[in-house]
Amino acid sequence: MMDYVILSIALLIIGVYGLLTKRHLLKVFISVELIATAATLNFVMLTSPQNLGVGEAFLVLAFSTDTCVSAVILALLIYVSKKYGTADTGELVRRDKEYESHEEAA
Amino acid sequence: MIIEILAAGIVVSACLAVFVDEAVYAVTALAGTFMMTSLLYAFDGAVFAAVFQFVLGVGTLAVLFLSGETLSEKTVSAKPSTKSLLVVVASGVLLSLPAVLLTVSSPKKTAYSGSFSQVLWQLRAADVIIQGLVVLTVALGIFIVLYEKKTRSGE
Repeated sequence: MMDYVILSIALLIIGVYGLLTKRHLLKVFISVELIATAATLNFVMLTSPQNLGVGEAFLVLAFSTDTCVSAVILALLIYVSKKYGTADTGELVRRDKEYESHEEAA
Repeated sequence: MIIEILAAGIVVSACLAVFVDEAVYAVTALAGTFMMTSLLYAFDGAVFAAVFQFVLGVGTLAVLFLSGETLSEKTVSAKPSTKSLLVVVASGVLLSLPAVLLTVSSPKKTAYSGSFSQVLWQLRAADVIIQGLVVLTVALGIFIVLYEKKTRSGE
């Protein structure tokens, strides 16, 4: 049982690492998906050996919220990349700072 | 043995999804993570979970491939060397080793019991709330699209 928990912790670590270090919004999205997979893995794996349906039921409920989160992130990703021509958060922050300094100078 | 291989495969493909720079390859690695998670559920006897994971994974990947394709020309970078790829795969295998080797006993009691359909019926209140969240997200999306349209037509 614990091996599944460790597997989910490993996935969580990879997801959080990607979330903290990667600057491209698509990578951020992938990291969020990995974190969601790590969370939902526990629901199924902690209950399926006892033949309980509660884990699968919670998984279905978790998928509903996961889909909402994915839709919002993807919409932001497309919007930002269309409007600014880049999906790099570092580049977006740099442009924002440039814009602010330009405003202050004006 | 199959479950251990799948566990190692999940961690390796998750590592690749995060570390590979090319968007399309990263999405392909994420597809591997989803499919292997689905297989893990199926081998563990959770067939409903496997089907849901598969369906959700395919839907997400279809959208991600499309968006990844449109964004990939801006994200193309130098091709990763074989050495760095091997380091990523090795770190994935290393991370999955505890999951393969360690085992302890499982907890015995839970608040809900019964089959999948019985538990879903017991959890119908939570189901209604989450359905409300989904509907709210869809409504919010439609509102934003209409607002954007109105703003553009105003300009």
